[in-house]
Amino acid sequence: MQIQPILAALRRHRLATVLIALEIALACAVLCNACSMIADRLAAMHINSGVDENALATVHLTGYDLTKSADVDARALAALRSVPGVQSASLLYSIPFGLRQGTAGITTDAAGQHFGGVIEFYIGSPGSLRALGVQVIAGRAPQADDFHPFSGLLPEEAPIQITQSLAEHLWPGANPLGKQIWLDKYRFRIVGVLKNLVRPDPPGWPANQRQWSVFVPAQPGPQFTGSYLLRADPRVLPRVMRDALAAVAKALPDVVIDRDNSHTLTELRNSVFRNDRAMAGLLVGVIAALLLVTALGIIGLASFWVAQRRRQIGIRRALGATRGDILRYFQTENFLIVTFGIVLGVVLAIGINLALMKWFEVSRLPYWYLPVGAIVLWLLGQLAVLAPALRAAAVPPVEATRSA
Amino acid sequence: MFLYHLRLALLSLRRNPALTALMVLAIAVGIGASMTTLTVMHLLSGDPLSGRSAHIYYPQVDATPADWHNKYPLDMMDYQSAVDLWSAHRADRQTLIVNSQIKVRAPATNLPPLMLNMLSTTADFFPMFDVPFAYGRGWSAQDDANHARVVVISSDLNDRLFAGQDSVGQTLRLRDSDVRIVGVLAPWRPSPLFYDVRGGRYANGDTADFYGKPEDVFTPFNTGLEINDGNFQQFTCWHMPDKPGHLVNAPCVWIGLWVELDSAAKAADYRSFIANYAQQQKALGRFAKTDTRMLDLMGWLDYNHVLPRDVKLQTWLAFAFLAICLFNTVGLLLAKFLRRAGEIGIRRALGAAQYEIFMQCLVESGLIGLLGGIGGWLLTLAGLWLVRTRPTPYADLAHLDTSMFLITFALAILVSLIAGALPALRASRIAPALQLKSL
Amino acid sequence: MLKMNHLSKIYRTDVLETHALRDFSIDVKEGEFVAVMGPSGSGKTTFLTIAGLLESFSGGEYYLDGEDVSGLNDNARSKIRNEKIGFIFQSFNLIPDLNVSDNVDVPLRYRGFKAAERARRIREALEVVGLASRMKHLPSQLSGGQQQRVAIARALAGDPRILLADEPTGNLDSLMARQVLDLIENINESGTTIVMVTHDPELARRAHRSVHVLDGQVMDLQAAATHEPEPAGMAARI
Repeated sequence: MQIQPILAALRRHRLATVLIALEIALACAVLCNACSMIADRLAAMHINSGVDENALATVHLTGYDLTKSADVDARALAALRSVPGVQSASLLYSIPFGLRQGTAGITTDAAGQHFGGVIEFYIGSPGSLRALGVQVIAGRAPQADDFHPFSGLLPEEAPIQITQSLAEHLWPGANPLGKQIWLDKYRFRIVGVLKNLVRPDPPGWPANQRQWSVFVPAQPGPQFTGSYLLRADPRVLPRVMRDALAAVAKALPDVVIDRDNSHTLTELRNSVFRNDRAMAGLLVGVIAALLLVTALGIIGLASFWVAQRRRQIGIRRALGATRGDILRYFQTENFLIVTFGIVLGVVLAIGINLALMKWFEVSRLPYWYLPVGAIVLWLLGQLAVLAPALRAAAVPPVEATRSA
Repeated sequence: MFLYHLRLALLSLRRNPALTALMVLAIAVGIGASMTTLTVMHLLSGDPLSGRSAHIYYPQVDATPADWHNKYPLDMMDYQSAVDLWSAHRADRQTLIVNSQIKVRAPATNLPPLMLNMLSTTADFFPMFDVPFAYGRGWSAQDDANHARVVVISSDLNDRLFAGQDSVGQTLRLRDSDVRIVGVLAPWRPSPLFYDVRGGRYANGDTADFYGKPEDVFTPFNTGLEINDGNFQQFTCWHMPDKPGHLVNAPCVWIGLWVELDSAAKAADYRSFIANYAQQQKALGRFAKTDTRMLDLMGWLDYNHVLPRDVKLQTWLAFAFLAICLFNTVGLLLAKFLRRAGEIGIRRALGAAQYEIFMQCLVESGLIGLLGGIGGWLLTLAGLWLVRTRPTPYADLAHLDTSMFLITFALAILVSLIAGALPALRASRIAPALQLKSL
Repeated sequence: MLKMNHLSKIYRTDVLETHALRDFSIDVKEGEFVAVMGPSGSGKTTFLTIAGLLESFSGGEYYLDGEDVSGLNDNARSKIRNEKIGFIFQSFNLIPDLNVSDNVDVPLRYRGFKAAERARRIREALEVVGLASRMKHLPSQLSGGQQQRVAIARALAGDPRILLADEPTGNLDSLMARQVLDLIENINESGTTIVMVTHDPELARRAHRSVHVLDGQVMDLQAAATHEPEPAGMAARI
């Protein structure tokens, strides 16, 4: 198939060609960026929490006098442990994907000069870190004598576990064990490194900060009460959760169960990412509608060109062109237009991505998206042009003899 | 002539029903998508106190120590500063606000206790923010001074506890204290919940929570501080408070102050008043810095980037989509008009001026726009219904108001006229012809 | 009525200039019926497009109804076409989507007549061509001869000063051709100037005089300069 005559014909229909090419360019740019955003959202949704989510649930109590915390906690834990199927019940402040109770900015020196970032303090009673199922990859897990009661917001001094992501941020390349972090007058010494422990609210943080957490061991008290972590076999967890809520309500009739924050971790995870899921769904919808509209545009214009050139096609056929030649003519024409569009679209896609990175904190567009987007649009173009091109190929040679 | 063009347009659209449907669909889908997002944007970016917001200000002073490097004063105030400024009564109206969670029981009912959001504020809050009452009224300045055990409840809570009946005079138990209901609000849904907006810069664009419902329980400021002592949350602290949840005189910011200043001169006076206050506090050694700031309501919302990032992103996406639909329509209209080149040539030969051909094509485009607008309106209703089914705090707000309804059609016709202009110009340039030329 | 002095028309492309008309002079008096003859490519169609103000010319002078039309803009030319000129095309050129009445209505619309005036003129014009009973028919429902008569009615409805016809019988069989030609003659007799382009000598014989065009020039200078209307058929015999 010779390209020269096709190009000559397209030059005569410059405006329409440019329009379709622009439409494809815009579609290409939106397609690549929308896919990249979907991938971002999916990646956020599939963040590794570092905990055994499907075996965990949380119950949160409020509305009692903090001076009675020891009694409330004792009765609540007893009630929870009495539920058949509960493997462990412990206290945990801040719940992965749940209630956030310990977000604070830290420094890496006692004088408070070297800001280390805003991190999540998980405060847990004995057994809670093990119940979470968090993997300790260096140093040690908390020991029995690490857990002490406290009266302020946090224990004043404690040996803590830190996630490797936070450790790498604070002391790049160095061994974090034995290092210390400060929060005002509170001092924490790092004795263990955790593989992962996600923040309660990962969507609210930049991708590289979503695992900035530490685990602080403590004994329950007036400032550490009412938030419980349950562990059970995943197969019976929903039933266990129902029974647990009933048991607590029965054991503590005057206390308010905060039902908004009492769920299995799987449920909490779903609700934390509901916006991301909706946004990803919306983007998929937009992409589908976009491709449809673009295809309809190609079909419309190609049909018009075919109708317009019936006589010309008839003459070509009379002069010996086969049906295949006519089909290939329109297919090649479409390929050329889509290619113009893609060339423009790639530039546009990168431009839009840079703007989005600046204003909407989306991540960089992976470059392999561009060729994939191009292939999708080439296929779409060929698919859309097929019906009009087949109609063109069906024009009989006798058309040449008809006057317009 | 317009009616003639309209008749020709109808004739032409009927002649190619498939092509017409294609164009109407493209515009409808584009308009539906962009109007859905634009409506949400409009609802979320509106003025929550229309007409009065320019007189409402949020003063800020900086009580942080010298080694805190904050560009602007923090989003809330410490107890001392907030109460000092409020007690000075230098504005036309002024109100303190602080939120906390509190356990609520209604002794007259046998409902289980509830944990609810409580706003502790001062008497001016209700008149200053045009809060509507269904029964009773707000409390007086005297009640503020007396730490009176009174409460105003939301219409939601009144429905839940008292089945919507007039509950003024009834008693509520807030934590361990009995308070008397003096007022019940009518349904009230400011969007955003402007007086609680703060810290938006740290929200990373995830600001949907600013569009939640108002608190269910409103108590006088000091009453709230007393009955819910130990349950208050700081916005931030520069040293740990000695007793968590008890923030009076702690090195923390946790109280908001809103003032109403009815003229620019008064606003300028108030600015110098808080500047003087900061100077004086520095002289006393309580402040390390003298930075102050006072934004008006809309300025404060803007500073907090209240519009959720996803909503903005969706709006851009919808308009990119509309642009694609536009290109598509331009292409199809071009094909449609140029297919009639012969007819246009004859009309020109018979004496039609260029602008008459141009108008004929434009009327046809506008008609497509009108049809697309109807489709777009239906799709917008569907889109908003979808938004309402989503679990976002602002979902219940997503309805099409009259202005957006009209904008739907205006936008559809505008888009179609823009799409039609270039093809119409091309068509009007067709030379008058002696015969239908075949191409 | 229609006077061209030393008119030239040059088509330019990238590679060559084509002189479609050169030093073309013609003078058609009011009430005349002139046939313009010439072989294919002689420039007779170019003459007609220029005469009908469908195209501009490159040099020379052109007076229509005493008015110099060389400097007019597109709007003014459209107005003159609409008010003073009627066209009859070889291929009828009816608008296929519009019925007979609406086709005749087209030039009247652009003239800005009121509805009653338009209705009257449409009826009268269609009565002249004998198709008043077919007002609501679409062109595709009519024979070729009927279509051409609708086209003539359309040309007549605006009361033109001059009727330009391009091979008006080219697409018709001989019987229909004769009917159409009779109609044109009648129109001429009622006072309308007619210029008809044709390559058919039979047809030209019906005109008062013929002008021969070859290579973009009027061959018969005498004929072109003749001021007196001649009896029909004279020019053809010269």
